[in-house]
Amino acid sequence: MGRKTGFIISKILELLATLLVVSLLTFVAFSVIPGDTAQVILGPDASQAQLDALRSELGLDKPLIVQYLNWIAGLFTFNLGKSAAFGVPVSDLIAERLPVTIGMSIIALIFVIAVSYPLSVLSARRPGKVLDQVFSVTGHILFAIPPFVLSLISIIAASALFSGFRAGQYFSPDENFPGFIGCLILPSFCIALPKIAMTFKYMRSSIIEQNASEYVKNAKGHGLTDMRILMKHVLPNSNVSAITVISIVLSDILAGSLIVEQVFNLPGMGRLLLSGIARRDFPLLSGMVFYIAFITVLLYFAADVLGSIADPRIRLK
Amino acid sequence: MKNPSSKIFFIAGCILLGIVLLIFLISLFWTPYDPSATDPASKLMAPSAAHLFGTDNFGRDTLSRVMDASKYTVFISFAGVAIALALGLVTGIPAGYYGGWTDRGIMLLSNSIMCFPGILLALVAVAVAGPSMYNVVWALGLVFAPTFARVCRIGTMELKQRDYIIHARVMGIRSPRIMALHILPNLTGSLLPATVIGLANMTLFESGMSYLGLGVQPPDASFGKLLADAQSYMTRAPWLVIFPSLMLVIYILGLYFVSEGIRVRSGKGGN
Amino acid sequence: MENIPSEHIRHIHIVKIKDLTLKFPATDKEPEHIVLDKLTFGIRDGEIIGLIGNSGSGKSMTAYSIAGLLPGNAMITEGTIKYQGKDLLSMNPKDRRSMLGKDIGMIFQEPASALDPLMKVGKSLDEILLSHGIKDKAERYNRISDILKTVGFDQPEKTYERYPHQLSGGQRQRILIAGAVLLSPKLLICDEPTSSLDTVTTVAILDLLRKLCTDMKITILFISHDLSAVKNFCDRVIVMKNGKIVESDTTEDILMNPKNPYTAELLTNARLDPRTLDLTHAEYNPDEDPVLSCKDVSAAYTASLWGRWDENLVLSGVNMSVYPGEIKGLIGSSGCGKTTLVKTILGLMKSGGEISRPEGAIGAVFQDPVSCLNPAHSILWHLKEALRPMRRSMSKEDIMSAIDNAVDTVGLDRSYLSRRPDELSGGQRQRVAIAMCVITQPKLIIADEPFSSLDATSAAEILKLLAKINREKKVAILMITHNIHIVRAVCSTVAVMDAGKIEEDGITEAVLESPKSEAAIRLLDAEKRLHS
Repeated sequence: MGRKTGFIISKILELLATLLVVSLLTFVAFSVIPGDTAQVILGPDASQAQLDALRSELGLDKPLIVQYLNWIAGLFTFNLGKSAAFGVPVSDLIAERLPVTIGMSIIALIFVIAVSYPLSVLSARRPGKVLDQVFSVTGHILFAIPPFVLSLISIIAASALFSGFRAGQYFSPDENFPGFIGCLILPSFCIALPKIAMTFKYMRSSIIEQNASEYVKNAKGHGLTDMRILMKHVLPNSNVSAITVISIVLSDILAGSLIVEQVFNLPGMGRLLLSGIARRDFPLLSGMVFYIAFITVLLYFAADVLGSIADPRIRLK
Repeated sequence: MKNPSSKIFFIAGCILLGIVLLIFLISLFWTPYDPSATDPASKLMAPSAAHLFGTDNFGRDTLSRVMDASKYTVFISFAGVAIALALGLVTGIPAGYYGGWTDRGIMLLSNSIMCFPGILLALVAVAVAGPSMYNVVWALGLVFAPTFARVCRIGTMELKQRDYIIHARVMGIRSPRIMALHILPNLTGSLLPATVIGLANMTLFESGMSYLGLGVQPPDASFGKLLADAQSYMTRAPWLVIFPSLMLVIYILGLYFVSEGIRVRSGKGGN
Repeated sequence: MENIPSEHIRHIHIVKIKDLTLKFPATDKEPEHIVLDKLTFGIRDGEIIGLIGNSGSGKSMTAYSIAGLLPGNAMITEGTIKYQGKDLLSMNPKDRRSMLGKDIGMIFQEPASALDPLMKVGKSLDEILLSHGIKDKAERYNRISDILKTVGFDQPEKTYERYPHQLSGGQRQRILIAGAVLLSPKLLICDEPTSSLDTVTTVAILDLLRKLCTDMKITILFISHDLSAVKNFCDRVIVMKNGKIVESDTTEDILMNPKNPYTAELLTNARLDPRTLDLTHAEYNPDEDPVLSCKDVSAAYTASLWGRWDENLVLSGVNMSVYPGEIKGLIGSSGCGKTTLVKTILGLMKSGGEISRPEGAIGAVFQDPVSCLNPAHSILWHLKEALRPMRRSMSKEDIMSAIDNAVDTVGLDRSYLSRRPDELSGGQRQRVAIAMCVITQPKLIIADEPFSSLDATSAAEILKLLAKINREKKVAILMITHNIHIVRAVCSTVAVMDAGKIEEDGITEAVLESPKSEAAIRLLDAEKRLHS
């Protein structure tokens, strides 16, 4: 029991340490760079007195460590101050753009799991045969196409095929939810395709590896049918190792959506990030960067914990 | 798993890669037209004998532009991987070799960097330092370093268990020498495919950044920038999208195929 | 006759194989390969029959042919296999699969990985009953409890809830045997079931199999590469080579009087028997200062970040001395802490207690000849590297003559210097490893099972070499081995380890002839039964 609590505690400490380093990296990156938030807000014509006044109002004249602690406090109370460029609270800006990015990520993840699992089981049944080869080569090709290129091509194709298709159409989820989902499907699919290929490749080799393992040989020797071995032994074992891959895929999807949004002209986090970069809006950027990294850290942590729960060798060590 | 198709992958990859590298080499000395020369008389012309890949909205020759762009794409991927590889070696091998707190410290830093989605980190780094080709190289080098550090660390941890490394320690060889002369030569088997994959992923990232306008700056253009420029005309002049995309995909696919070929051949795992 | 259901007819031969020919078709890399060549033999009802041969002899493929588990590309081109009169090769695959477990049980070589790591062992056994159509839950549970008791688990309800990683190698093999005989098959095929187990466990598993043979009337087909291991176990032995039977007789006749030269070769080559080598004990003087002495040494593997030191002690209170010129044996079953002790002595692990090591380098020779040399460098580089810590005071000529000397001592040709490790055989690699020790002129060499992965001929040469180095250079050797005969032949003293402690330590004859500790008695008893 003592060892088990020790394991959990060390995992949580690891999580906290990672968050600390992530926040430090973010903060330091935005502190050492040239550029001044006060200057951005007031514009190039502001007088020195105006700048000093705003700096002390924003707390920029305090020592860095105090600024850091204030910033951390802001992160956890969702109070990151006002955006330098838009003049509205950063949290509001992020909350407004979140549905598009989250929606796309969820739809893309559904695509990835729904397509890659059946295909990898099918492919691993007879490795090296025609079906497997076709799937594998297709997977490689899909993997090599950047999602934004896929998006451009799919827009060209869709405009040519459907006269009603208009790129850049967007419906707000509050007004027209089915329309909102509808306009996310094609972009999500473009993000998902390379990740389908990645998950397929991983699952396929994992299943093949399990199929060659001693315990599958042994189960065959006990007279179990292939289907039963697949469902009861092979897939559960592949799933344990797939948890990590899925977490990586999900964080890739999140990152991928930043660019693909731009192609489809969707008002998500990616657009916000780019306008923040263009206007050197550091409060906005540092908040966004941290939150996105924070989600990723939690994602990996969750995968780690799930993996340990699913595997008795770790759980009962 | 022995796979007879590894040879086919390797050959196909070399051919694809050869196409891009050949165009890259030719572009250093010759392009059909001056890639930045505008010609108002021939705007947005479809592919023809005079302009094999058509022209853009300024009447610039797309083939010449694509050839010129290969220069930046190839250079950035190789330079970025070189930086990432160097950083990965000097952090990953000591982490795997010494273990303990050295390992924990290096891994904490590298895991933390990996928690920022790569493209986000690169975008912000470039945004902060100002968009330019060299900043892109540095940013991507930093973003990819943890991947190589991991490969080196895991390889070193595994080699450290081998009798010949244990023996070297027993004989009293100094640690830096063990890392450089006993371990490093044996890591090439797993580093080679990782490097080739790194080139492909680097190109994916670079094209995305250039597409967003944060990579190579005008008047220079890599494949990603060409695609960004083409977007407004893509339904009217699809060739502006198709040819740069094709080159980009051929380059990345070639790298993937080559890495697949050598990975299976050297019997190493990895992503 | 027609009215009697086929399963009630008694057959003298439970399995009859006639003219069985098995081929692997040609691929781009390899030409067509004949694995079994017109194989004909029968397995009598109720006997334990051994199928012996080196790897590639076709013994495993014979077993897989009977079970119907051949790899996809294997082709049976000729012959028949009859199980109680039924022609197996003309049955459909589904019916054959359902015969497994019910009529034919199988156990394999690797108990470590042969159980699904995510499934409780009880559930794994339950799966077998379920897939054979036994629906009643209580019945399944009772049958599993019964079989667990049969294979030697006193508390089946506890064992049921265990995961494979919580069991030892021997326990896992018992679970696998339980699974194989769960549905009381008539034939049990054992594919090298003991080759990865240590002697004590092997003897226990063989006893269990014998008990199952008599109690449950199970016929056993036992596959092994080690002829001497089947000695007190099999009734009859078939020796195979290149897909053909070279000899088949009762076990006694084959062992006492092998008619075929190949069988004789198998007998002598299976295990190094140093009694023929004419070696003598190393001489030493216990009044001299020891080159190595361990006082109250303890060591532990720390697992987690805050892992406590005493949580899983692998060594505790180890006291041991090695005197100049001595060869000391260290024996013990696998997992007793021998390797940890070696690592501790070599300073590779943190440890408690006091270790006084000799001045200068300690030589080390390890078990695995494959990983003992760095594949990236030549042999010459290895020898130069071994000299590196002392090289400052040496001229180029000194270095070259030291290398020449070392190479001569271990009996390697100079032409090997420019070669790479992968061009050398296992025995040659071990010689290079020994040369790397000798070149530093150590006072002590630690040899950690240096013979166990070599064939008998190379092992004998390496043993002679080590004895010669001991004699000529007065180097003390600490020799870790599991071969009692080696200990008897060369070691002046021997220490017996069990569960991280030295249980017994003394003059070789005294320890081997009249062991006092329980661990030593158990170990020597098992050794005697398997290898005497």
